[in-house]
Amino acid sequence: MKIAVCVKHAVDESELKLDPTGKPLLAGAAGKMSAFDKNAVEEGLRLKSKHQGEVTVFMVGGPESKKTLKEALAMGADKGALIQADALTVDSFRTAEMLAAAIRKSGPFDVVMCSEGSSDTYSGQVPPMLAEFLGLPYVGYARKIEVSGQTARIERSLEDSIETVEAPVPFAVSVVSEINEPRYPTLIQIMQASKKPVEELNGEELSPRGDYKQVVVASMSSQPSTRKRVILEGSPDEAAAKLVEALVKEGVLK
Amino acid sequence: MKSVWVYSESDSVSNEVAAAAAEVAKGAGLDVQVIELGEARQGVSSPGGKLLIKGSVRNGDSAGAASSAIAKAAAELQPAAVLLGATRTGREIASRLAAKLRVGCMAEITKVATDGTALSGERSVFAGKVVARVSCPLPAVATVKVGAYPRLTAGSASVSEKEVGVVTDQVKVLSREKKTAGAVDLKSAKVIVSAGRGVKKKEDLPMLEELAKEMHGALGCSRPLSSDLGWLPEEHHIGLTGVTVKPDLYLAIGISGQLQHVAGMKDSKVVASINTDKDAPMFQASDYGIIGDLYLVVPALRKALAARG
Ligand SMILES: Cc1cc2nc3c(=O)[nH]c(=O)nc-3n(C[C@H](O)[C@H](O)[C@H](O)COP(=O)(O)OP(=O)(O)OC[C@H]3O[C@@H](n4cnc5c(N)ncnc54)[C@H](O)[C@@H]3O)c2cc1C
Ligand SMILES: Nc1ncnc2c1ncn2[C@@H]1O[C@H](COP(=O)(O)O)[C@@H](O)[C@H]1O
Repeated sequence: MKIAVCVKHAVDESELKLDPTGKPLLAGAAGKMSAFDKNAVEEGLRLKSKHQGEVTVFMVGGPESKKTLKEALAMGADKGALIQADALTVDSFRTAEMLAAAIRKSGPFDVVMCSEGSSDTYSGQVPPMLAEFLGLPYVGYARKIEVSGQTARIERSLEDSIETVEAPVPFAVSVVSEINEPRYPTLIQIMQASKKPVEELNGEELSPRGDYKQVVVASMSSQPSTRKRVILEGSPDEAAAKLVEALVKEGVLK
Repeated sequence: MKSVWVYSESDSVSNEVAAAAAEVAKGAGLDVQVIELGEARQGVSSPGGKLLIKGSVRNGDSAGAASSAIAKAAAELQPAAVLLGATRTGREIASRLAAKLRVGCMAEITKVATDGTALSGERSVFAGKVVARVSCPLPAVATVKVGAYPRLTAGSASVSEKEVGVVTDQVKVLSREKKTAGAVDLKSAKVIVSAGRGVKKKEDLPMLEELAKEMHGALGCSRPLSSDLGWLPEEHHIGLTGVTVKPDLYLAIGISGQLQHVAGMKDSKVVASINTDKDAPMFQASDYGIIGDLYLVVPALRKALAARG
């Protein structure tokens, strides 16, 4: 079974600094593997161990994202493709187009795996767009994947229900975090990862933009929090009474 | 006249998106068309007209079928923009529609507007730390953040029809099972009592449910409780990956206050929290905080509420 896993090197929101006007300092900001992509890699590895085959990691990003690609290889993926582009200025559509071109180039794959959404921008757009560009059936928000022969039975986690669907192989899928517990690479695996093959591709050459007009970010800023931050002291009974009093005064308790 | 189309598989979300579309259309000389797939829905309103897309597709069909049907109609009728609700299914329909039409797609936006040449809006990024102002040349597709707009409750609308024939999806739905009974409507709740991992076991949730009831509110939760632990249906989950709420009072109980959670409740009018850890980030995002064990503070709070009569 050939499995493609799409992994993003995301901005690490907890490390992100703002300038005095509230603008995020993105140049040189720390990054990390998009949180749920660990689940996508894990699920790819799980399918591989069950059905044999190979896991290839695909990533659209700049040179700084290599570290995340290595991490996926250390977890156990066999090889990687880094599609060079400025991940912060290409939109979901272009990211998906570039991923589709690279996947088509080294395919065909039986499964194309993503996570439900990236931890920095959480759009949930790349996976369904990718499926469209590859012409594959698509199943989003998977919490369980069982492949047998030429069909996959997948459980999807929706807001109010669990849906069980059947898709033909090959298919594209996005996973939610409760699907598995991602493994941590061992020291030996981390060392071995640097020997695994990584192909480098140029995104704009691989997939020319054409006349597509993309989404642009006009500006970014933070909103300062204006909470009162009053700590109510005392025993549980005293503190609770103070809270009720404060909430009544605020007019938010009927 | 060029139109702004609206679709959501959920009636209530459709009414929110219709309110957003009314804002967009206003002043830009656009008309709003709320999409119905296959059949009209009673609970769905429009500030303009309705477009009934006919063929094999039905409201609530899979993203594959719904996006194909809307794409077919859009290729002919050329709407200026298509707005969808940012539900799990809505994100999929929007993305696939944009890919099929080869137009840009903005995600999770609020404050949607147009100057007639581009669609613009705001969205939160980096787990809610930052607001980004985004825009995309028309025609464009966008998903509107659930909970960002008040629901439209307009009356009747004129209905036009478009036949698109048979659309199919290679993915077959075998079954659909409701997560747990007792749907919650956090978007219209004035008070939300929200439970986090500080709650030790599922059996302790009724205590918080009772508290919510006594405060005339509803019970919400952090992501781990609905996703990883499965103690509550996903509809209760507040934050970046769940619902956005802005009640008069948000009471966070045993919630650490990570960015992704705060992203979903930071516009609440008053925020209070109960946590054993004095350094929990939730206190920074609160107006009132009680440093203490929820198993002691919640009963005390219920007593204090009861004492008011
Ligand atoms: C991409 C991404 C998206 C995410 N989206 C969301 C989202 O939409 N919503 C969301 O909620 N999370 C989301 N998360 C997860 C988020 O980062 C946090 O992990 C989560 O919010 C933590 O939940 P919690 O506060 O309930 O649990 P914890 O972080 O474990 O906090 C539990 C808290 O309870 C306190 N506590 C323990 N015992 C007691 C007691 N007896 N009495 C009182 N307090 C006690 C502890 O001090 C602690 O502060 C997302 C994460 C990622 C990576
Ligand atoms: N730059 C990228 N490189 C590789 N995969 C990506 C990239 N951006 C998004 N993805 C994949 O698409 C998923 C959803 O991302 P998003 O649509 O940005 O929320 C991610 O979890 C990844 O699996």
